[in-house]
Amino acid sequence: MRGFAKFLVKRLVALVVTMSLVIAVGYVLMYYSPGTFFSSANIAAALGQLRIEDPSLYNQYLHEFQSRYGLNQPLITQVARYVWHSLSFNFGNSFENPSVPIMSQLQKALPISALLAVGSIVLAVVVGVPLGVVAALKRNTWVDSTLTTLSMVGQAVPAYVLGVILVLLFGVWFPGVLPVNGWGSVGQAVLPVVALSAGNVAVVTRYTRGSMVEALRQDYVRTAEAKGVRHRRVVMRHVLRNSLVALVTVIGPTFAFTIISTTWVEQIFSIPGLGSLLFQAFPDKDVPLAITSVYILCLLVMGMNLVVDLLYRVLDPRVKLE
Amino acid sequence: MAAEPLLAVEGLRVCFERAGGSIYAVNGVDFSVAPGETLGIVGESGSGKSVSVLSVLGLLRANGRVTGGTAKFMGKDLLKLRRRQLEDVRGRDIGMVFQDPMTSLNPTMRIGDQIMEAMLSHHYTSRKGAFERTLQLLEEVGIPDGRARFRNYPHEFSGGMRQRVMIAMAIACEPQLLIADEPTTALDVTVQVQILALLQKLQQRRRMSIILITHDFGVATNVCDRIIVMYAGKVMESAPLDDFLSRPAHPYTIGLRRSVIEVGDEGRELAAIPGMATVLTEPPRCCPFASRCSFAEDRCSDVLPELRPLGTEHFVACHRAEEVLSAVQARKPVGQEVVSRAG
Amino acid sequence: MAAITLSPRAAVSAQRRSSQAALAWRRYKRNKLAVFGAGGVAVFLVVGLIGPWVAPQGYQQSNFLYANQPPSLRFPFGTDGLGHDMLSQVLWSFRNAIEISFGATLVSFLIGVALGLWAGLRGGVVDMVVMRAVDFMYALPNFFLSLILVVTLGRGIFPILLAIGVVGWAGYARLIRGLVLGMRNGEMVEAARALGATQAHIARRYLLPNVTNSMLIALAFGIPFDLIAMGALSLFGLGPRPPLPSFGNMIAQAGANVLGYPWLLYFPAGIFAVILLSFLFVADGLQEALNPRGGS
Repeated sequence: MRGFAKFLVKRLVALVVTMSLVIAVGYVLMYYSPGTFFSSANIAAALGQLRIEDPSLYNQYLHEFQSRYGLNQPLITQVARYVWHSLSFNFGNSFENPSVPIMSQLQKALPISALLAVGSIVLAVVVGVPLGVVAALKRNTWVDSTLTTLSMVGQAVPAYVLGVILVLLFGVWFPGVLPVNGWGSVGQAVLPVVALSAGNVAVVTRYTRGSMVEALRQDYVRTAEAKGVRHRRVVMRHVLRNSLVALVTVIGPTFAFTIISTTWVEQIFSIPGLGSLLFQAFPDKDVPLAITSVYILCLLVMGMNLVVDLLYRVLDPRVKLE
Repeated sequence: MAAEPLLAVEGLRVCFERAGGSIYAVNGVDFSVAPGETLGIVGESGSGKSVSVLSVLGLLRANGRVTGGTAKFMGKDLLKLRRRQLEDVRGRDIGMVFQDPMTSLNPTMRIGDQIMEAMLSHHYTSRKGAFERTLQLLEEVGIPDGRARFRNYPHEFSGGMRQRVMIAMAIACEPQLLIADEPTTALDVTVQVQILALLQKLQQRRRMSIILITHDFGVATNVCDRIIVMYAGKVMESAPLDDFLSRPAHPYTIGLRRSVIEVGDEGRELAAIPGMATVLTEPPRCCPFASRCSFAEDRCSDVLPELRPLGTEHFVACHRAEEVLSAVQARKPVGQEVVSRAG
Repeated sequence: MAAITLSPRAAVSAQRRSSQAALAWRRYKRNKLAVFGAGGVAVFLVVGLIGPWVAPQGYQQSNFLYANQPPSLRFPFGTDGLGHDMLSQVLWSFRNAIEISFGATLVSFLIGVALGLWAGLRGGVVDMVVMRAVDFMYALPNFFLSLILVVTLGRGIFPILLAIGVVGWAGYARLIRGLVLGMRNGEMVEAARALGATQAHIARRYLLPNVTNSMLIALAFGIPFDLIAMGALSLFGLGPRPPLPSFGNMIAQAGANVLGYPWLLYFPAGIFAVILLSFLFVADGLQEALNPRGGS
């Protein structure tokens, strides 16, 4: 168990370092972008309306921002401050809506995005693995060719194109069958999840097929057959079980891409998740919101990577935790 | 003396389909194994020795097909069995040990479980019984501390130990026939000896028949009661051990014997058989060894020699078998090869 | 295992090398999807080149009287809210699609190759640092970094191309580094050296084909990936600046207006999807042709 604890500690340290880097880079880039909010002058200009309406509130906000982000101090200090704040989940308020703390926005949006992304991966595995198994067992037949081609198409079309097409399908051609925006009911979840998952299902199917075909060629499969093990068990315990290992390694990068696709899908279907926050933040250069949203999304990805690494260890006893 | 053979293969033919055409791997092979006997199948890579045996158990790769012949085992023709029935035979009546124990064992499964799986698949005994028996087997094949090692994975064993695990798996259900396909090829020489000794010990204890496939003629002559030599998918010679040692009658057999290097051979020229093993892209219509044979005459490139008897239990597939035999017995130089011993 | 040995292959000769290419080409042709894809890519390139000349109208030309018209003879793809002829918009979009996707891929490629070479040849600390960086880039969703970069650098063609290219180098770096390491240590190289081959000979006959194959496949996959990123930027309002038309912008706007004017979506989305599919079919086809694995 001690090796496990060491592994965990190492990973957490790596996580912190990586996140700090991400936040720092994000901050610096935004700092240098034109019209950035990281200058008192710009904030003052943006809050111009408020200055007229409620001067004291305006002053309060201005002061808050200046002190929180240290806008009068050298860049290095600003970055360090910001990284520290972010790591301790002390996010402050959004620039665009200064009365709204970012944390509360995140709390509402995060579960939705997390659910979408993770749900999509789970769906992909649940649907994709059986399909991949079928394709592998019936390789080089029409079943296999069809599945493979469908997979290629599914992978090619990005979630936002598929999403838009689904909106077209169910918004214009067959209106009323399924809702095309909003979030809350099961019906509203169907289309976004489909748009999001098509690519993932395709990837899982192809990977499963590939690694199963590879596993089927292995000598130990022949040994199992020579022992008289029933065919079904050979496929499940010897072939599939060993192909799952390869599949797990691909889930990490796939999840990263899924998180990205989730933000796209949220916009198209008007789902109030982190993607929508991002969408709000970027054009308005609401930096804290933007960077924080990206930060949280990256955290999700890194969390999933950690889970995947642990899973890998469980599945393949040859791997030692480094 | 001629007891009912345990396994009798007749006229076996196997073909592989490839993009460029067919490969005729086995072209009419006959052999049989008596109860309690050790049969050696010797040949170079590509001779079809492994394919013959694999096809009997239905373990060929997807593009291989059995195109003819019978394989009678315990009253049934194995080649005609359906998969379900074949699964019953495999492991329970016929056990198999493969060449490379590293790749032949499932890397994600504990070895104890893999051995137990052999028994559980045939409902050989209860789960508890299988566990106990596994421990016994581990001890029998020479793996100490079985209880602890049960839980180990293949990669935690050395090559020789892995092979012992394979053997334990193969004999778990007390099969009447054990097939060992190059069981020692991937192992160190010292370990080879141990494994062969283990096989012999197991055989004596259980009255089991063994088919030993090898390209190493020396190994075969050390362990087998009868040997058949294969080349290009055909049996060249089949005889009891004595006959092989003192009365070999096929040029290929003699070439193989010559090429065995033994201690005390220093100074002797390496006698290799000239040429390369052939792969047949069409069924043989003449002796496949003709192009490399120092005894060859015109007839050999025209007519396919059939396997015919030369003495009791001694069969040869060569037009000039008698002459070859007398040349050997007269200790004359065989063909153009001149062998001189130093000292 | 029943081993069918074939007679040993002759040493690699110049004849053989060109016949390997021919062999790969034949394998490629057998794959119908791959051939279709190649056609699609060719069309993509051609239209990108001549599109602006063939288009009935300039992309800025508005026909206000005909705004929001469904497809008709005069405007085969319909018109949008500003009266732009959608056919012309689409034709014009090919050009910046090529510019951005090929440009970004090139940027990723150059950065990746440079870093990969450096890591592979220098080894030691350099190697470790670069590999950590690669893991970093792989682990994180780097699209967001592209977003931030576009905000910082602006929405011109070149900044966008940079923003997408700069985050995509990890794959190429890993590939090149792996190949370089393989070169230095591989058994094949040792064997060749044992036969007396010179470094140059080894490089040319053994390594270059391997390298170019893998690189070609990676590039073939990289271009559609960058196209997707380009489209996605438009979703966030960070695509190429209007009035310059781009697939992403058209799709994003059509998505917002789809209930009223669905034709705005058909053609841009459909054509975009076909372009992506073409590239992916080609990439897949190349992979099978150049790195064949047994199908059965």
